[in-house]
Amino acid sequence: MTIPSQGSLEAQDIEVATTALQSQPDNKTRRYDRQLRLWAATGQSALESSRVLVISGSATSTSILKNLVLPGIGHFTILDHESVSPADAGNNFFLEGLRSIGKPRADEAVRLLSELNDGVEGKADKRTLESILESEPEWLTSFTLVIAHNIHPLLLGKLSSLLWNDSTYPPLMVVRSAGFLAEFFIQFHEHTIIESHSETAPSLRIDKPFPALREHALSLDFATMDPTEHGHIPYVVILVRVLEDWKKAHDGNPPKTYDEKKEFKKGILALKLKPDEENFDEAEAQAYRCFTETKVPSEISALFEDPVISPESLSQNPSPFFHLLSALKEFTIQSESHTLPLTSTLPDMKSDTKSYIHLQRLYKLRAEEEKQAFKSYVRAPVDDALVDSFVKNAHALQVLRGEQWGAFDADKKALGSPIEVSFGTATALLVTPKGLLIHLSLSALSSLNTREPGVLLTVEALRAEVQAIIGEGVVLPDELEEVIGELVRAPTAELPNTAAFLGGMVAQEAIKMITKQYIPVKGYCVVDLIETWTGVVNA
Amino acid sequence: MTDTSVHTNGNATSSDWIDRFYHVDQILDRPGPRTDPSFLAGDEVKDFLRNKCKILVIGAGGLGCEILANLALTGFKDIHVIDMDTIDISNLNRQFLFRPADVGKPKAIVASEFIMNRVAGVKVTPYYGRIQDKDDDYYMQFNLVICGLDSVEARRWINATLVNLVDPENPESLKPLIDGGTEGFKGQARVILPTVSSCYECSLDMLNKPTAFPICTIANTPRLPEHCIEWASVLEWPRVHGDKKLDTDDPEHIGWLYTIAAARAKEFKIEGVTWSLTQGVVKNVIPAIASTNAIVAASCCNEAFKIATSSAAYLNNYFMLIGTEGVYSYTFEHEKREHCPVCGGESLEISVNREWTVERLIEMLTETQNIQIKKPSLSTPAKPIYFQSPPQLEEATRPNLEKKVSELVPDGGEVTVTASTLPFSLSLLITYT
Repeated sequence: MTIPSQGSLEAQDIEVATTALQSQPDNKTRRYDRQLRLWAATGQSALESSRVLVISGSATSTSILKNLVLPGIGHFTILDHESVSPADAGNNFFLEGLRSIGKPRADEAVRLLSELNDGVEGKADKRTLESILESEPEWLTSFTLVIAHNIHPLLLGKLSSLLWNDSTYPPLMVVRSAGFLAEFFIQFHEHTIIESHSETAPSLRIDKPFPALREHALSLDFATMDPTEHGHIPYVVILVRVLEDWKKAHDGNPPKTYDEKKEFKKGILALKLKPDEENFDEAEAQAYRCFTETKVPSEISALFEDPVISPESLSQNPSPFFHLLSALKEFTIQSESHTLPLTSTLPDMKSDTKSYIHLQRLYKLRAEEEKQAFKSYVRAPVDDALVDSFVKNAHALQVLRGEQWGAFDADKKALGSPIEVSFGTATALLVTPKGLLIHLSLSALSSLNTREPGVLLTVEALRAEVQAIIGEGVVLPDELEEVIGELVRAPTAELPNTAAFLGGMVAQEAIKMITKQYIPVKGYCVVDLIETWTGVVNA
Repeated sequence: MTDTSVHTNGNATSSDWIDRFYHVDQILDRPGPRTDPSFLAGDEVKDFLRNKCKILVIGAGGLGCEILANLALTGFKDIHVIDMDTIDISNLNRQFLFRPADVGKPKAIVASEFIMNRVAGVKVTPYYGRIQDKDDDYYMQFNLVICGLDSVEARRWINATLVNLVDPENPESLKPLIDGGTEGFKGQARVILPTVSSCYECSLDMLNKPTAFPICTIANTPRLPEHCIEWASVLEWPRVHGDKKLDTDDPEHIGWLYTIAAARAKEFKIEGVTWSLTQGVVKNVIPAIASTNAIVAASCCNEAFKIATSSAAYLNNYFMLIGTEGVYSYTFEHEKREHCPVCGGESLEISVNREWTVERLIEMLTETQNIQIKKPSLSTPAKPIYFQSPPQLEEATRPNLEKKVSELVPDGGEVTVTASTLPFSLSLLITYT
């Protein structure tokens, strides 16, 4: 692979960065080009070292795997002891119709999925999940992620407890579907994200300019400078200057009231030498950046309160993320501006090359200085590239904490209460009624099928089961009839479109979990493919 | 794919086996609580789906491959597919019906053969070419149309064509159009009932504005690596190569642009020109992954299945998905646009400055979000104002570009706008300010 990581370019000398020409990318880079633009070489390498276990070779399972094999995970295993049935052969694209009937489903699916990508290793395992849980549970630790579709609830219970109770076991994705309805859930303890790809840009710190920026802004003589140059002063410089002048005249305070802000903006436009100086228009439009103080964003300062970064916990925790988070907290306390480290990414703005590049240079130098200061607070050995990435994304770090599969169903207070009142606790029945009904109905379907295998499913039985889960006395909305009616219609139907839809959804979240980029869903993601909507319950 | 003898039979049910449709038949054998009373459960609906329904898929790329596979598995047996592209190596990370050995071959043909080999009894008829090659009679033969396209232009064309096809006397002439689109982790699927519900043209203003860099920035004040790349492709390529057309699929051409852009970047001390960025900028590359395509294609096919069978309510009418932060989706009814030039049938009133030249008006038509017509030709009911082609007419009308609109069109006067890329004309009522 020839793609430089984002950080390495910046670290290079400008001469090297602008002269070292690359040749045409190799075939692998070209093949993955459209996805590398989303998760870059770091994400790709995480995918390539991942090992995914999928339990059952159902149509949904192979749809999920298709979307993981194509982008290039390292390895997958399908655990399935069944033979291909005539029904399987009709709804699974990774079986070859009549020719596959009677053959081991895992073998057939692995063979056909493997054709999608030479770089991925696939393995069929024909043991039962039961035997593995009994005799060889530690085998599961060899995987990065386990995905289970429509498996027996008792086995699912055992599997989820096993994976939950020991932190050396991987996260679990539970997928359930029937007809047009479906849901999935990711069981994980903790998931930290540096590259969340947030759309919020980090602060340019115009209200707290670093010394070189402040000096630069103050050194310009707006009134006497060359008119062409005047029409190209970047808005950042204009705003720093105007704000400094304003503060001088207002006891060191920025504009606060509506009238002051209006006056401040008028002052910017008054500096124009000619009406068509677009850089001043841009400065006026960006003036809001001067009105609120740059602080550590509240989401990030909340992370600083996490007990995980107390010195005692940290000494027990090998995770570089939390060592870096602790250093970040220290940095924000110690730094003069009490802000996150500056990032060097400067947006484009009306300017000429020279003024813009000069400003960019100032930001780069300062960002580098602050990064070094940050590094001095890091008390554990951490890879440089990780430090770079952490600092660059400090404004959008994420720590997610999940819960065990099934914990929600056992928590009657979280599901609903006998009297749903607006001032009561925000139960799922109040917050996400439609989604909760799908989740509960799928739970009910699953347990009924287990308790009474072969017995014809009825609306009454399903309704009673849903009521039992949520608790007697809780009034269920009428919409429940629509959901359970649909399940009674097609209790064992694995529709090709539902399978393909879930295949995309689950693979997408699996990719986010594996690459630790973007933000995976928390809670039960429910899907209704009749009215075509998705929702999240117990987020 | 060693043995194809059982699979080449396009004659409906002879290749079916018992329980082949065990899963789908649970839906088709009985109604659900949200099923329309017109649903004909059992043999009748199965016969229509498997023996009578004819569906057209436009695009055999990222969405198209998925759409074809889903349709085949749900029981559609007479599928047609149009695509004008050939397979590129960068398609292989998601277009799962293609293999490295297929690079260079037509997508429509390779995809059709793959589906027919894999799913017994399905007939897929490919057309390797442009949708514009086909006439109304061709489109009239289908019950449904699904689009998996990456081009706004092609979508506008098929949308307008299907709207024009609607004959109120003939219910068969209304062809539901299901449209999907993706970009990275985001995507959308929608159902359009031509003339009945909001059409593609109605929602033109929902499109993101394409990034355009002012020519003076590119020429005089580059700041970003993108500016250097644009300089190489927009200014240097024609200067050095004259009439030779830039082929953005040719690695040598990209290599040349990259070298030129990198040299300019060095001169201005701008960092970040890479091969990948060069290709991204000149080809306007949109990130694309298998998973998002799977979600959107499944959603489109699910709507097609529900509409074709009436087995359940269908999407009304827009499903939007954003997968970057958790799973966020939004399902809503997009409303028809009152003055939609395609399905609204009325003139669009616009007011322009009395001093504007024809050239300025053309610029405005190109830029306005809900119009976006590239290279429009303008005329009044009496005479041409400006025509882009043929060359003689262009030359004859060119002097009008400098003239004021108000000299050529009276206040409240009508201007008809046409473009070769669009199968409809836009009627403007001009008032002056």
